[in-house]
Parts: sequence; structure tokens; C-alpha cells
Amino acid sequence: MRSDITKTSESGVALRRLKIALVEDKADLRDSWSKLINSFPDFSCDCICASGEEALRSIPLAKPNVVLMDIFLPRMSGIECTSRLKEILPKTQVVMLTGVDDNELVFMALQAGADGFLLKRTKPADLHAALLEVTRGGAPMSSEVARRVIESFRRPAKTREQSVHLTTREEEVLILLTKGYSNKEIADKLSLSVETVGSHLKHIYEKLHVRSRAEAVARYMTSNP
Amino acid sequence: MSSPQKLNFPSATGWIVVALLLFTLTPRSFSQDDDRSRAQMTEALKHTKYWIWDKETRDKQTIHFWHSVNIPARTVISRATIYITVDNGYRLFLDGRELGQGSDWKTITEYDVRSLLTPGPHVLAVEAFNDRLAGGLMFALEAETGDKPVEILSDDSWKIAPLEDKNWLDEESPRANWASAVIVGKVYGDPWKPWPYAIVSVPPLQPIVLHFWQKLWFQVTLLSLLGLAVVICIWLLTQLTSRARAERLLHMQRARIARDIHDDLGVRLTQLVLLGELAQNELPAQSEMRGQIDRICEQARDLGHAMDEIVWAVSSRRDTVRDFAAFVCKYAQWFCQSTEIRCRFDVEDELPPTPFDLAIRRNLLLAVKEAIANAAKHSGASELFLRIYRKGEGLFVAVEDDGHGFDAARADWTRNGLTNMAQRMEEAGGKFFIYTSPGMGCRIEFHLPLTVTRRRWRWLNRILPEENNHDIAENENGTLRADEIQTPNHR
Repeated sequence: MRSDITKTSESGVALRRLKIALVEDKADLRDSWSKLINSFPDFSCDCICASGEEALRSIPLAKPNVVLMDIFLPRMSGIECTSRLKEILPKTQVVMLTGVDDNELVFMALQAGADGFLLKRTKPADLHAALLEVTRGGAPMSSEVARRVIESFRRPAKTREQSVHLTTREEEVLILLTKGYSNKEIADKLSLSVETVGSHLKHIYEKLHVRSRAEAVARYMTSNP
Repeated sequence: MSSPQKLNFPSATGWIVVALLLFTLTPRSFSQDDDRSRAQMTEALKHTKYWIWDKETRDKQTIHFWHSVNIPARTVISRATIYITVDNGYRLFLDGRELGQGSDWKTITEYDVRSLLTPGPHVLAVEAFNDRLAGGLMFALEAETGDKPVEILSDDSWKIAPLEDKNWLDEESPRANWASAVIVGKVYGDPWKPWPYAIVSVPPLQPIVLHFWQKLWFQVTLLSLLGLAVVICIWLLTQLTSRARAERLLHMQRARIARDIHDDLGVRLTQLVLLGELAQNELPAQSEMRGQIDRICEQARDLGHAMDEIVWAVSSRRDTVRDFAAFVCKYAQWFCQSTEIRCRFDVEDELPPTPFDLAIRRNLLLAVKEAIANAAKHSGASELFLRIYRKGEGLFVAVEDDGHGFDAARADWTRNGLTNMAQRMEEAGGKFFIYTSPGMGCRIEFHLPLTVTRRRWRWLNRILPEENNHDIAENENGTLRADEIQTPNHR
């Protein structure tokens, strides 16, 4: 992981630092996070917000590459904020930060449009790797979440928009994820590059978002005739 | 309307028929009855001598006559008859039981009381009523025993109980204030000169057989049992409601603890780790302090992991089989990260959200953790399989490695945690199997019942004496028996 940093900084990509926005309601945590991110040579924490409302105001102006979003925020939750932010900035990657590893919440966040999630206790090296992975493609997915994703795609679609399907490859990737394979192992097993696996994941995240948004619309339509 | 021939009917054949009927039916039967009643009458009058009454006689007067009878022990009574009549009416009692009533004072009534007069003391009582003018009781009890007959006649040995005395029927001896009866005339004396002239018999009286359900002790017992049942029901109901309340409170407390740990401790711990990482960054790469801070961060992360586990175990929102599978997988993945072993999952696709009791869940988690740790420490395996399936009514969890295995019969059970696993499974009411042999890897299986009934009735087990709990522990025993250790042929 450490070699990743050196490689990117040596190859000169780090000349343009990737912009990170942070949404976190606890002041001291906010400071520490921004310091930590700024300590990476290829990332800078430009936009720091203390609430979801503030995030919706400042992030569209700052146009960051990645948003780190705390899942528990006062008033507007991180999940809701993600979903609104994604409407304004569909290309911006949103990574959820969670204190506890709760599949339920993570899955909800993914459906709202998040592109990955990180435990707050993640090692700096892993945080860095995850940020890089998110900018290149999909963030890693845990086996349990992969299982939930497969399940949700297997449910019959109610509307045409909802009928987004996974490709065979994408499903293969997901199944291997449920069996505990890492991205690299999946790449080996399917004779793909790690980047391709990442982009498959990215598509899966996008489709999940599209599908769940269509589901939400369908639910809205049926409840308000 | 009627024909003229019919008018002749009574005059000829009709008279003959009527005469024949009268001849055949009446005379013989009358004379027989007369004979018998005359004999009875003679017998009755042999014993009755006097009419008795109270000192004064009034119209509309009621008198309570009382007399005790003692039948000597071991006597066999061959015949016992009561002859009675009262001017104007009476009610006759023996031992509180009403034998009969009479209001035709000109006729004597005969009661056969042979079956009622058992050896021992008895009480005769007569409630006599005088309508107007003279009043009197004429009475005789004749009991023929083997030797000396018992005889109670209407004389001044009778006692008169005051009307105010409500319990006079039940008294076993006369009270001091009871007056004696007074002889008011001879039988066939004035003013009862030509009477009584007839006698009637009442069929022999039988003792009242009290079935056991009519007896007081039975009814009292039954009533008290019913009362007891009602009390127990009420008690159980209150227990149930209080248990339900306690369970709800427990759930609330669990949720609160989980939230507190997460909100408060979790945030602080995150901050601690972040501060540690930042401090580390400010130190030169090779400094000793940096290594120490790194260890602090590592420890804090592990602490966070342990805390997650507690939150998961305590949180009642997450007590289904499905959550269990998710948690165990996550744990295995996390654990294997720091080892050379690749962790593979084989989890049933759609595990149901069946509730999974906290105690069982915890024991199973600890047992599985032990098994994973074992595999990592001793097996030398490259791959570890965690399989979670439903099997019938139960849950099946297997931890499988492709390491070098061991000889289960000779293994040190305490050292490698096998005893611990067995104990955990016993507590959870499940079963535990090992399939292993040297060079063949190792598979550890856990079988657990998922039935809800046990859960529902557990409170009863707690209230009732231990036998119920015991049964379950014995039947679904988790201890590993020697015959359960099998050599694997599954690979």
C-alpha cells in the first residue's frame, strides 16, 4: 500500500492533487481527518462541512473528486445528503464513513448513490488506497453487501426503468465477492486486470443506485396516485 | 241423533255387566286390606299409651319434641318401627333427617326405620302443630334387638325445645332449659275418643347414601383446588406480564447500551486513532516513538473491533440468523487478513431473518471464533472455508481448513480449545463434531436448533423446578463423545 503512494508521487500524477470534501459533524474528528488527508501527497482536503445542509451548499461550488461523508449527521442524515448530492453532481464519488460496520446502513447508503464505504478506524494506508480505488473505479465491497446486492437485483422489477440488469461478468464478480475473494483474487480467477474488476464494481454501484432510485420513484407513484 | 235401540242398553245387559264387575272387583280386596290394617292397628296400639303435649295448649301452636335414642353397641336390630300421629300435624326427624310428615291425626303412620337405627346414639325429633282445641303427640318406637328391645314411647321422658332454639334438631343432649313433655290424655281417652282408627305404612326407609362427591371433604377439597388453580392462573398471568415488561425493558436497555457504546465510545476511539496517526506522521520515520504510537493505534483499532462485537451482541436489532452470518463472515475476513490464510465463504443465499437468541448467538460466535483461531494457529492451511446453512429446523455452521489436520483422539483438548467449543455448544444446546485426521485437513461442525418453541417456553423452565432444563441439556447434549469423532472421508 505504501508503495502505491510513492509510485503515484514519483510518476508525477501527484502534481495535480485530487480534491477531497469532508462532511463530519464532530469538530475534533473533522480536524483530524483533514490533517490526515492533507498528509497524503496526492490528496488535499479542500472543502470541510459540518452538516448535510452545508455540504449541499458548498460541495457543488468546490467540485471535489471525492466526498467523504459521515453516515450519522444531525438533522439530514449522511444517506439523504448523499442521495441529494448525487442528483446535483452525479460524477462525484461519495464514500461513506461509518463508525460501525453495519450492513443495513451500508446497503442503504449504496442504494442512495454512495460509491463505497470506509470504517472510520481504517489505517491511513488503507484509507489512501481506498481513495485511490474510488477515483479509479469501484471501492471494494464486503461479501455480505455483495450478497445483498445480488439479492436486490434478483427481485423482479416493477417498472421499465427498474429493469436494469447485471451483466454476466458483473454477477460473476459479485458471486466471487460473496465467497470472500478480494478484488485481486477475482482478477486472477477471471483473468482480468484489477482495474477492470474495479470498473465492474463501479458499474454495479451505479446500477444499484439507478435501480433503487427507480424503485423509490415507483413506490412514490403507487403511494400517491 | 241416537237410534232408539240404544235407549234400551242400561235396562238389560248393562245391569248384568255392572253387577258382575262389582262382584269380582270389590269384596275380596277390601277384606284383605282390612285384615292387615287391623293387625297393624292392634300392634301399634299395643305400644302407644298416651298423648303428650306441652303444659299449656293453644291454637296454632308449634312444639318441638326431642328425644334421644341409644342403640347399644354390637346389637343387631331385626325390626324397628315408629308409630306416630299428632293432633293436628307433624314433621318427624331422625338424626336431623326428615322422615316424613302427616296432617291426618286420625290415622297412625308406621315408619320402618330398621336400616336407620345403627348402634350408637340417635336423636328423634318431632315438630308438632296444633291447629285448634286439644293437641297431642302419640308416638312409639319399637326396636327389636336380640335380647332387650329398645322402646321409646310418648311419655314425659320427651323434652320440649323452645322455638327460639334453631339448632334443636342437631342437639345431642337436651339443654338445661328444655322442659319435659306433659301427658295430656290416654289413647282412646277424651277428647280423642274414637280415634285413631286407621294406619298407613311408609315404605322402609333407607339410609341416605352419600357418594364421595356429595361429601363435604370432597367438595371442600374440590373448591380449594379450584381456588388454588385460579390463584395459580392469576399468578402465572402476572408473571407473564411482568416478564413481558422485563423483556421489553431489557430490549430498551440493550438498545441504549449499544447506542451509548457506539455514539460515545466509538467516536472517541475514532478520534484517538486519528490523533495517533497524525502524531505518528509528525515523527521521523525511524524513531522508536513512532513504532510505539503505531502499536497504540493498533491496540485502539482492536479495541474498536472488540467494541463492535459487543455492540453487535447487545443490540437487539441484530439478533437474526442472517445478521449472525454476516457478522461471522466479516469477523473471519478481518481475522484472516493478518494471516496467510485465504478466507472463503459458503453461505446460504437467502438466510431467513429468524430470531436468534442472544445467549445461543454469543456461544456460537465464540465457538466459531475459537475454531477459526485454531485453524490459523495450528493447521498451516492456505484456505479456510466458512459454511453457514440451514439444515432442517436448525442451523449448520462449519469451519473447514485444508491444513495438516490432527489426531483427534490424541489431541490435547484443553490446549487447542476443543473443550471450550464443546462447552459453548453445550450451553447453546447444540452439537459439535470434528472430522479430522493427520494430513487430511480439519472440519469442525456446529449444529444448533433454531426452534422458536424453546424460546417461548423458557420462562416456564425458569419457574418450574429444574427437570425441564435438565432434559434439554441431556438430550441436546453438546459434549463430544468418542464415537462422534470420525475420520474424514469428505475430501
